[in-house]
Amino acid sequence: MSCETALPNLEALKKDSAPERYLKIRLELEKQEVSLSEVQLRFFIVSGLKSLHGEVGAALNFDVLRHDEASNITVLKVPKEGLVKLWSSLTLLGSYMEQRCAFRVLQVSSNPPDS
Amino acid sequence: MVRVKSRYLLCEVNATDRNLLLQLDDRAVTAAVKDVVQRIHGDYGAALCSFGFSVKYLNAVTGIIFLRFPKRCYKLLWSALPFITSIEARGKKITCFLNCIYVGGTIRTCQKFLIRYNAHQLRRMLPKCKNEEERRDVQQAILDCCLTRNHTDESEDALESEEDE
Repeated sequence: MSCETALPNLEALKKDSAPERYLKIRLELEKQEVSLSEVQLRFFIVSGLKSLHGEVGAALNFDVLRHDEASNITVLKVPKEGLVKLWSSLTLLGSYMEQRCAFRVLQVSSNPPDS
Repeated sequence: MVRVKSRYLLCEVNATDRNLLLQLDDRAVTAAVKDVVQRIHGDYGAALCSFGFSVKYLNAVTGIIFLRFPKRCYKLLWSALPFITSIEARGKKITCFLNCIYVGGTIRTCQKFLIRYNAHQLRRMLPKCKNEEERRDVQQAILDCCLTRNHTDESEDALESEEDE
């Protein structure tokens, strides 16, 4: 399965004055049959934020804009200040229900992704 | 030149029961702060707290503590302090809250501020004295502060404990 990855220009992203950032991510699990619903995914991300950044992190206001259960690709919207917290907790989330998993970040931008 | 810089927070521990406050020790305060930082800021906060945080001074009678934080993250750790509701010391749970009254760059500046603060507190206590003996003690202590700064801390601490009993 090929997926497009757009390497973000992080310097330009930091200087961009738009108040929101969009993260397109894909969850890879050991057993590919397992797929998460939107609610389960949201809970999973909040638990990761809580473990790395505590109550303040768990209170971060992020939105799940689009979620495709078949391919496990999700688009998240987060305020500019919360991007580092969210991205770092996604990186460090290692297991979902006793199976190993990884979040692959496909695209980061300050405009909503088209597809 | 390159120097390790830190921030010292001068905090006052306000407890509901002043007798329990005497049980306070630095390990209890360290554990309480690390616990609340872990809860509020997660693993990231706990890691910031693990190296560079310590309790430098503790006065169980007046409830004054000096907390040392690294300069680069003191504001983050400071933001977790209001969430402390109790401190567990020697098996007893002291219900209290922390009030930060000064932030200094060195222990010496904090100490200078504390001396002025204690003298100010004495002057505030003077109109509230209940009997003549207390009034004389407080007046003597205020006179001592004005004349010499060397023995100020011991006499004030002794007086404040008398006031509270």
